[in-house]
Amino acid sequence: MIALKRIAKTYAGAVPVPVLHELDLRIATGEFVAIMGPSGSGKSTLLNIIGCLDTFDSGSYQLGQQEVSSLDVDALAALRAERIGFVFQGFNLISRSSAWRNVALPMLYTGTGAKRRRDRAHELLERVGLADRADHLPAKLSGGQQQRVAIARALVNDPSVLVADEPTGSLDSATGHEIMSLFDEMHASGRTIVMVTHENDIAARASRIVTLRDGRIIDDKHKAPSRSLAS
Amino acid sequence: MISWSDRFAESIAALRDNRLRTALSVLGIAIGIAAVMIVSTISRGGNHLVFSELETFGLNSVWAYRDWANDSPLERQRNGSGIDSRDVQVISEQREALGIRSLSPIVRHYRNTPARRGAEFANIQLIGANVDYLDIVNDRLIGGRSMMQHDEEQRLAVALVAPEAVTKLFDADENPIGKVIDIDGRRITIIGLLAGKSRDFLSSIGSAGGESANDRVIVPWTYLQRVRGDNEVDHLHMAVQNFDEAASVADEVVGILSRRHAGHFNYTSETMASYIATTDTILGGVAIVGTIAASISLLVGGMGIMNMMGTAVLERTREIGLRMAVGARQQDILLQFLIEAAVISLVGGVIGLLVGAGISVVVVWLTGFPLLPSVVGIVGAMCVSVVVGLLSGLLPARRASRLKPVEALRTD
Repeated sequence: MIALKRIAKTYAGAVPVPVLHELDLRIATGEFVAIMGPSGSGKSTLLNIIGCLDTFDSGSYQLGQQEVSSLDVDALAALRAERIGFVFQGFNLISRSSAWRNVALPMLYTGTGAKRRRDRAHELLERVGLADRADHLPAKLSGGQQQRVAIARALVNDPSVLVADEPTGSLDSATGHEIMSLFDEMHASGRTIVMVTHENDIAARASRIVTLRDGRIIDDKHKAPSRSLAS
Repeated sequence: MISWSDRFAESIAALRDNRLRTALSVLGIAIGIAAVMIVSTISRGGNHLVFSELETFGLNSVWAYRDWANDSPLERQRNGSGIDSRDVQVISEQREALGIRSLSPIVRHYRNTPARRGAEFANIQLIGANVDYLDIVNDRLIGGRSMMQHDEEQRLAVALVAPEAVTKLFDADENPIGKVIDIDGRRITIIGLLAGKSRDFLSSIGSAGGESANDRVIVPWTYLQRVRGDNEVDHLHMAVQNFDEAASVADEVVGILSRRHAGHFNYTSETMASYIATTDTILGGVAIVGTIAASISLLVGGMGIMNMMGTAVLERTREIGLRMAVGARQQDILLQFLIEAAVISLVGGVIGLLVGAGISVVVVWLTGFPLLPSVVGIVGAMCVSVVVGLLSGLLPARRASRLKPVEALRTD
């Protein structure tokens, strides 16, 4: 469960820019939430706070039983490693490393043994349909394949929350929908997904659409669950 | 937590990814370390060479002789060395009190004395000395016997001969011991052979008094006095007991001679200690200049690493952000870049060491300096290179580790 209470954040500068205005948001375990809104609405900042990548000025954030605001940088890193998987618009693969090594990267920082890393990475590549591409460098893969590698990487430590920032933003719409099928599968397996997108048809794949404007939630629509187990 | 072997694997993978830049940084450190090593080899070798040649004069040597420069016009008309056998005896008797280990009167005939070989003549240095002379100037006997008290007392025409004098006077397969040679028309029996000793370097810079050590023919000083028909001694050559007291011993000997010949002669002295002090100053200065030059080279190598790591951090900002997002802590990022810097400097250090050793061998071969490998120097150079690498890597690595993940991920 994700519980944000009165979360506020202002970007300091010559002219301080408030991005989030005491925002409240609860996301139940297993929900698939799309966050939408025009650029500058604070949706990426909100996503980064949910992913424990960014800090906030005031308010409280509970991830499961854990109050996030009390954690130091190392504890946040450990929390991200164990509980959160990330998917980015730009894939963020390490270009010198093969697909399976990219997938295995998060396991380095949880101290997983080499054999287990290799096996687990190959297992996940198989799950995203890239078993035969394990030894390819990212440059030898298509955009859709690269995002599949990134999704495999996000899942490798079996996180409870998946955070995705415009996961289809760099892909054509057919490939985008293929990727969304993977999201559907993850959703079906009970993972909580929080995704920022500006594409309506992508957002429509979620079970709930939260719309932001000027740092405030202006709309919060629940859909009747279709294929998901979410409540 | 990430294991050390994985840390190294990650760092080395990053270095391999940028081979050219890695190679250039390695080269920078290698040149620095090689320069330090070569300077230290030359400095140590040169030092050793100079001191081994100074040793051929005796490191504890003190010379006392008549000082013509301070003579009044009247005194200058007075001929003679100003030292005679009686002075030798007087000083010899109180040498323990004076701090003198050994003393030899030196009697010279001519600077170059013709020695006959068949119908031809070869120049040798004829030196009259006593039984303690070999000890004072670190001469070593390699054949025959040394000069004895008996030879000195009986003023016998016996000689110890240095190697070059032997080759001037004998064929290679001849054994000179027991042979009689004709020097300046007098017949002298060879009783012993001296080991050769090099003053080549000092001669090459004009600092050996123009005399080779290897064409000496040493005879009892008393014999040369007999030949000359007087009881004069050219100068006194002493070895002091304690190196640090050389100057005061010299002053005391000069004082004794001055008192004994007051109003007739003036005296002065020289000590090896003062030459050594001068030599130390010169060689020390050269070593400092060389060390500074080499250190600058190493510093430049370190700045190369700093520049490379700085560029790498900039280029890999997104990668750093990603690693942080998937669980890398600040110290994991710090160590990744520090290990990269350390690996570069260690590899550079090893290459520099090998190149430096190779060039040192060539330098040794060209100059004749002795090769003195120093374990302390080698270990020191390795430590210096790693420390340089770590220090140079520290700043960029800290910058990388303090990036905020969200900002690092946002960069392009």
